[in-house]
Amino acid sequence: MNQIPTRTYRTLARRALQAAALITILASVGGCAHTAPSTTLYERLGGENGIESIVERFLYRVADDPELVGFFANTNIDHLAGSLANQFCAVSNGPCRYEGPPMERAHQNMGITDAHFNQLVEHLDAALREENIALGARNEFLGRLAPMHADVMRYQ
Amino acid sequence: MFRFTATPFIARTLCRLAGIACVGLVVASSGAQAGSRIMSTGGVSAIEGAAGGGLSPWAVLSSTASDEELGATAFASRAWLDDYRLTVGGASLNVYDQVELSYARQRVELQTLGGELEQDIFGAKVRLFGDVLYHPLGIWSAGVLHKRLVDGATPTALGADHTEGTDAYLSASKLLFAAAAGRNVMLNATLRNTEANQGGLLGFGGDQGGREWVAEASVGVFLTPHWIVGTEYRQKPDNLSVGREEDWQSLYSAYFFSKHVSLTAAWLDLGDIAGLASQRGSYLSLQAAF
Ligand code: HEM
Ligand code: HEM
Repeated sequence: MNQIPTRTYRTLARRALQAAALITILASVGGCAHTAPSTTLYERLGGENGIESIVERFLYRVADDPELVGFFANTNIDHLAGSLANQFCAVSNGPCRYEGPPMERAHQNMGITDAHFNQLVEHLDAALREENIALGARNEFLGRLAPMHADVMRYQ
Repeated sequence: MFRFTATPFIARTLCRLAGIACVGLVVASSGAQAGSRIMSTGGVSAIEGAAGGGLSPWAVLSSTASDEELGATAFASRAWLDDYRLTVGGASLNVYDQVELSYARQRVELQTLGGELEQDIFGAKVRLFGDVLYHPLGIWSAGVLHKRLVDGATPTALGADHTEGTDAYLSASKLLFAAAAGRNVMLNATLRNTEANQGGLLGFGGDQGGREWVAEASVGVFLTPHWIVGTEYRQKPDNLSVGREEDWQSLYSAYFFSKHVSLTAAWLDLGDIAGLASQRGSYLSLQAAF
């Protein structure tokens, strides 16, 4: 009779220790997210020229994608390219300020689905790779855009 | 007694689900088009059939199906331990990235003494909210794994109360962008309510206890967008007095050749199993996704 509670106790203690260890590991990994690199992300994306090339490659890829190009049928592409470059520059700590409309307004009622969103992300990542942006900078840049998903999708 | 009246109904329902999954697989593979979700966001197939790591289900849903797509996976896995060999085959269906249905057949062979145990696992997972990439809290899902031993004689003789049982779990997964040396880090935590002994292969419940909550977690680093290495930990119940049951852990490496094919290799430490001490060994798993 005595044996069962003791064993349960030990199991519980072991559980608690393990849980604490796991949480510590997870938390410390999470903490690494904020170590600042020596150069800004803007520089690692190639500065003003780099970002312009990225935007251009990105838009050409989108224009070639039959499932996405329709969204841009009534868009002034020059304006879009300028606005995107400005936003990318601002998001990567460059010397710019994004002056376009907020993301939820810029995309309202377009009927964008998660599938479209993912496709667009793949084109952007491909454009970054074609511009030989290093993996670390690519991950960081995509990581800064990813949370905008909620705003872009708010009024679909 | 409830068990006996409910069994045929449950069996019929679950077989129908497995049938649907199977049809889905054929339909999806004839299209042979990848889903639009980003590669590797479907994880790999855990040994219980659900999308996850190797040992533990994750909150992500299988394949790369997105909100307007169907996806399917099929997988085969094998673990070579000191005294046992585990073989698993299964499939899953992802419906609109909201619901995942899965089936797995596990067989464990006792290498040294002879004999084998088999079970079927029918799984369903529902995405509660969030997104592994885009939501600050990641993706959260809840699931069940209904397990049925093919022949429960040995587990019953060892003291197990039941030859079928159902695990329920809540799981959260999150990708942290550029979190370690510029590399993306995958985090997963799962809370599981279970009475399964050694995952169910040794039956359910026993003289030392029954249902309880256990925690599972994993951390992985995407060295490249194709290649993740990491570790998993899975707590286990300890219900049978004939043999102590210990927690499971693994070190894994999964390579995504494309959205369609991944190969996982792992080193496992499954602890004591049914009186045989310290079962360690290697694991290979091949997954195809459509
Ligand atoms: C210098 C680059 C570009 C050139 C020379 C170009 C040229 C053209 C031409 C000639 C058409 C008419 C095709 C037709 O009606 O059969 C067209 C249509 C279109 N292009 Fe471009 N394009 C360029 C860049 C882009 C970019 C970057 C985008 C979007 C991201 C874009 C989006 C579209 C769209 C939405 C249409 C209309 C399709 C339709 O109305 O059905 N284009 N383009
Ligand atoms: C994180 C993801 C996204 C970001 C950061 C983003 C950013 C932007 C920016 C900065 C603009 C210009 C706004 C302006 O100055 O007027 C814009 C416009 C636009 N975006 Fe996005 N976008 C995202 C996702 C998407 C998706 C998934 C689609 C559809 C597939 C899309 C379609 C459009 C269209 C069609 C316009 C032009 C709207 C117009 O003609 O006024 N965007 N986006």
